[in-house]
Amino acid sequence: MAENTDSRAHIRETSVSLAVNLGGLPMKNPVTDASGTFAAGREFSAFVDVAELGAVTTKGVSLNGWQGNAAPRIAETPSGMLNSIGLQNPGVAHLMADELPWLKSQGATAIVNVSGHSFDEYVQVIEALEDADAVGAYEVNISCPNVDEGGMTIGTDPASVQKVVGACRRATKRPLIVKLTPNVTDVAEIARAAVSAGADALSLINTVLGMAVDAERRRPQLARVVGGLSGPCVKPIALRQVWEVHNAVDVPLLGMGGISSGIDAIEFMLCGATAVAVGTANFVCPTATVDVANGIIDYCERQGVSDVAELIGGLQC
Amino acid sequence: MANPVNERARLLSNDPVGPRLYLMRLETPIIAKTTRPGQFVHLQIPAADAHILRRPFCVYARDAEAGTIDVLYQVVGEGTRLLAKATPAVVDATGGMSVLGPLGNSWAAVDEAQSGSGLHVLLVGGGVGAAPLYLLAEDLIDAGCAVDVVLGAQTEDALVTRERFAALLGREPACATDDGSYGRPGFCTTLSQEALDAGCSVDGAPFDRVCVCGPDPLMKIVAAQAHEAHVPCEVSTERRMACGIGACLSCVVETTDGLKRSCADGPIFDAEKVVW
Ligand SMILES: Cc1cc2nc3c(=O)[nH]c(=O)nc-3n(C[C@H](O)[C@H](O)[C@H](O)COP(=O)(O)OP(=O)(O)OC[C@H]3O[C@@H](n4cnc5c(N)ncnc54)[C@H](O)[C@@H]3O)c2cc1C
Ligand SMILES: Cc1cc2nc3c(=O)[nH]c(=O)nc-3n(C[C@H](O)[C@H](O)[C@H](O)COP(=O)(O)O)c2cc1C
Ligand code: FES
Repeated sequence: MAENTDSRAHIRETSVSLAVNLGGLPMKNPVTDASGTFAAGREFSAFVDVAELGAVTTKGVSLNGWQGNAAPRIAETPSGMLNSIGLQNPGVAHLMADELPWLKSQGATAIVNVSGHSFDEYVQVIEALEDADAVGAYEVNISCPNVDEGGMTIGTDPASVQKVVGACRRATKRPLIVKLTPNVTDVAEIARAAVSAGADALSLINTVLGMAVDAERRRPQLARVVGGLSGPCVKPIALRQVWEVHNAVDVPLLGMGGISSGIDAIEFMLCGATAVAVGTANFVCPTATVDVANGIIDYCERQGVSDVAELIGGLQC
Repeated sequence: MANPVNERARLLSNDPVGPRLYLMRLETPIIAKTTRPGQFVHLQIPAADAHILRRPFCVYARDAEAGTIDVLYQVVGEGTRLLAKATPAVVDATGGMSVLGPLGNSWAAVDEAQSGSGLHVLLVGGGVGAAPLYLLAEDLIDAGCAVDVVLGAQTEDALVTRERFAALLGREPACATDDGSYGRPGFCTTLSQEALDAGCSVDGAPFDRVCVCGPDPLMKIVAAQAHEAHVPCEVSTERRMACGIGACLSCVVETTDGLKRSCADGPIFDAEKVVW
């Protein structure tokens, strides 16, 4: 319906230069979505034009697909939510047959989020995707805290991180973003391991391991008991880790964790992020990605910033 | 199905109508025009920023001309408790309530009724599950169907949809209350079984369809009754939702065709396909 199409939110015109480069991936503005909160964008296309985003990051994909976890899979927490979706996905062939062609037809840039239960599976997913021309970059999720055999062990151990990133690096020349878990003692150490194995960029943070309890029923709120915390409540943790990683390595960072406004995004850029991802905020408001981009423009115009890249790491301590 | 929109709605009224039950009227011109029976809206709790997730509610009634929808809801937790406190003045002061909709699919019975002739349909609603059946009854009757309605509630004063159904049908719906304060004492599944056995109250013809909305155990029993009677049955599922538009996979329903998203592939499913 015409009236509905017109109601889509758009990133407004500006003289501010918004383009950034994320480890070899050119982005027309610094805003993408956080993997798993946006599917491959189609569900949001009644609200935003996905081609206007710096990139569309797709939901985590494995080789042959996973069933995910039992329900309930989510719980609301103060200023946040827990999820234990368990990386349910239909497999890489489906992504290539369905979602990637759609993103291409929209004119969108795709960052494909890759997951695996084994080092080999990561490599096999990337090898399959090398045949697709619509992939701008890979984001390797070494950090999913949800799946028994999945990211958790890999992303918390520097030697395993080096091994999986090295294997992925050998499988592709495309920009390789490695997504870090916040559930470690020293995120800088993990970041250095990923970069030494060939990561072009790092993204952080994934969800923070947490739990919610129903006292009346004396039961956990999630079927899987524990899950990943996201939303505004994790922003201080995310900012601190982006700042630490920025001070530890030289590659560009994709910052995320509780971003729901342009000001939130600017805070991440000042701490060292080159680009930002909007996750849980998409559930609060389906135009959140575009709202964040417009908020960045507002800030730059108000502060007289002519190029958004000037802000990266600009925190004055 | 129309594209969903995010409307900034004025709250026109929000009044208690029964035990922990509230009736809310929202000004949502586009959603009021485009909502089909069974679809839902996903609302932001006003002035409650720490509650970041929206809450899903079925559309109870719609007035396309006035541009309004009604939502009947029960206070069950923190979000609905805050919703019950919302006043038109507070919502106006915050620039309106963010209402996403219409979302989800609709009852196949409506399409079938509109293409065929004179279906006999049995509607079974438990608790606030009766609300989404009202729009369905309206559309089915408009399409020339004979409709029987069975309602269940804990007490008489919780049977808040009874009068609207009576006015629409021109006769009383069959009612059961847990405490026996109105209609048949006990669960409404006794009434749904009797209805299936007796056939449509209008002409005694066997039912062509059963549509159920209510707690899972109720839907499961009625689905089994319909199965026994060889009558196709649809159920309206209720799952915890985050996005409400099919992107996050929070709301999965297990079906014989695999995991489906309640918000986008449902909330209405063929009862035969649901793995209870
Ligand atoms: C498609 C659909 C239509 C619905 N229609 C109606 C309706 O017309 N009238 C009505 O009274 N209720 C309806 N519900 C249930 C209603 O959404 C919940 O009662 C409400 O979300 C509870 O919120 P709370 O904050 O008070 O409860 P809390 O328990 O504090 O909520 C915590 C979280 O759990 C979720 N949640 C809790 N109970 C339910 C539930 N039963 N179903 C789904 N999510 C739940 C909440 O959305 C929230 O994210 C519907 C649910 C769905 C999925
Ligand atoms: C429902 C849900 C699903 C997610 N799925 C994935 C996923 O498939 N792969 C991944 O790398 N991260 C996944 N994440 C993590 C997010 O991409 C993001 O790192 C995290 O939620 C923090 O950002 P936010 O606070 O803006 O949501 C998921 C998060 C949520 C809430
Ligand atoms: S609530 Fe997100 S997919 Fe259904």
